[in-house]
Amino acid sequence: MISKLLASVRKEYLLLVRDRTGLAILFLMPMVLIFVMTLIQDGAFKTLNEKGIPVVFVNNDKDSLGFLIEKGLRNNDLCSYNDSINGKPATLESAKQAVADGKFLIGIVIPEGATAAIRKNVTKLIKESISIDSQTLAYDSSGSDSAEIDILIDPVAKKTFVTAIISSLREFISEIKTKIMFETFSRQIADMIPDKSQGPKNAYAQSQIIKYKEIYASKTEKVIMPNAVQHNVPAWTIFAMFFIAIPLCGSIMKEKSEGSIFRLRTMPASYLILTGGKLIVYVVVCLVQFLLMISVGLYFLPMLGLPTLVLGNSFWGIGILTLATALAATGYGVLVGTLASTEQQGAIMGSLSILLLSALGGIWVPTYIMPESMRSISALSPLNWSLNGYYKLFLRGSGVSAILTDAMKLFVFFIATMTIASFANQIKRKV
Amino acid sequence: MNASPIIEIKHLTKRFKNATEDAVKDISCTVSRNEIFGLLGPNGAGKTTTLSILCGLFPPTSGSVLIDGRDIQKDLTYIRKIVGIVPQDIALYSSLTAKENLDFYGHMYGLKGKDLKYKIAYWLEKLDLTEASNRLVSDFSGGMKRRINLIAGILHQPKILFLDEPTVGVDVQSRNVIITHLKELNKAGTTIIYTSHLMEEAENFCTYVSIIDHGRILTGDSPTALISSHKGAANLEDVFLRLTNRKPRDQ
Repeated sequence: MISKLLASVRKEYLLLVRDRTGLAILFLMPMVLIFVMTLIQDGAFKTLNEKGIPVVFVNNDKDSLGFLIEKGLRNNDLCSYNDSINGKPATLESAKQAVADGKFLIGIVIPEGATAAIRKNVTKLIKESISIDSQTLAYDSSGSDSAEIDILIDPVAKKTFVTAIISSLREFISEIKTKIMFETFSRQIADMIPDKSQGPKNAYAQSQIIKYKEIYASKTEKVIMPNAVQHNVPAWTIFAMFFIAIPLCGSIMKEKSEGSIFRLRTMPASYLILTGGKLIVYVVVCLVQFLLMISVGLYFLPMLGLPTLVLGNSFWGIGILTLATALAATGYGVLVGTLASTEQQGAIMGSLSILLLSALGGIWVPTYIMPESMRSISALSPLNWSLNGYYKLFLRGSGVSAILTDAMKLFVFFIATMTIASFANQIKRKV
Repeated sequence: MNASPIIEIKHLTKRFKNATEDAVKDISCTVSRNEIFGLLGPNGAGKTTTLSILCGLFPPTSGSVLIDGRDIQKDLTYIRKIVGIVPQDIALYSSLTAKENLDFYGHMYGLKGKDLKYKIAYWLEKLDLTEASNRLVSDFSGGMKRRINLIAGILHQPKILFLDEPTVGVDVQSRNVIITHLKELNKAGTTIIYTSHLMEEAENFCTYVSIIDHGRILTGDSPTALISSHKGAANLEDVFLRLTNRKPRDQ
């Protein structure tokens, strides 16, 4: 039995290594996909996560509002702050042109006297509210009492980016208004109190009533940000592992077309031995593919200026999940090869179904940007179970226990595909 | 020597799924041990169907087959060990070498180690393929492929060898080598069940011939007895044409 199984493994190995084109597709295709897809998606992920949205800022105010917004934009992770264009300070015209040229997604122009306008507006409000004598609360009644901030938007900019920036601007303006209001009140109250030492201090500047602390729900000590590498490396590795269904199906179909299956069926060798040889070889191929793709994420992508893949903490978890994925992928290949009647049929059935399962499974685009209805369908794809498992390990730093359900689903999928394939094989032989 | 027949076929019938007619109709016959049994018939006569049932590829619709005293439907595992098959199509892996193919098929028949190596070397030498043994089968000529195809079926020294047109499409030299060694194998104790369209080859090779057509056995005897029992027949081909009609068969 063992000797037959080893002979079957050896035969499959030799057939595989002699199919140079097939091998190249198995290993080069996913590598190319990882490089291309990561580079393409890196821009989008970076825009949100790392570099931020490219924003050009024109500060004609040169006062509190302008400085506060500038400080806010500089410190905001969402933005990539710029106040010069081609080495020259940005102006309304040059900013407009740069946004139109696609150099920046958003431009913000603070007009001259914006702070003064707010100050005037606030003082007027206070005066109206507490009916203080206009002599006491002096304010400049000349000029406009409203400031108009120009927001220049690249038409290709996503609505969510624009909303996020405008929301930040509102926050800054609100803050500066509150600050001015507080200062004006403090000043007026101080003027009314004879003992200046008892007057209100500038407490506003020191106060921060609500503080924010960002905590990522990850079990790793360092924060792993979702980026193109963290998504694409596991995603395309899973795709490649499932893509072996096509050469595996081809190997089964070739046995049918070359007539070897006729001889094999008359030999004292069980279906388990004959299929077992294929399973072992293709599971090993999947594992090699995984190691290769992980190496790409760890060593090659950083050479292109992309982030390094972070593997999380659980190597046992990675091992179990990868083995379960490899088994599910090979089981699927055996099933397609058994159901198909011709090589072409197998290739079409295999490639189309894998493309569909991968699209549904969140390989092409992450499932969290899918509509709710698609997300529930996505949960039916074995590629999604695997991807979820890798997300848990790579992004959330989870351990073996967290991926057991995903691994179990993949293992059950493998058992199911092999059982169906075995029954289909028996039915096909009943002529 | 055991006098009991090695194959006993009783009322064998096969109708394929969705077919309106039986492919094999109520066939009964026996094959003696050490016989070279020729099953001859035109295209679509039922030869390959009969052979496939005897190999255990699919079960009969009705009737029974005993091989070496064992029921084919109950003892298939035993039967698979004692039979060898040389299919009409080349059943080899084209991207493996001759040696690798034989090594794989030998293992599947339960051979291993030195015994397997010896048998591979022996048959490669016998059929003049030693030099080509490490070449890929895809690079072989038709005759070389046929010879490897034959070795893959006889490597485990089967008690019964099923040959489905083993010499089709090969040159005279290769055919001669194949037939010579099959005769040697038969002398060593292997019963041969053989199908062919080559009447001259069958006449010289077989010790017993059954002519089958439309799923029924029309006649059966030694080639000499068949020829002499049909007046005016000069050879087996004449007998065959008289019994199966001269019109070409497309299927």
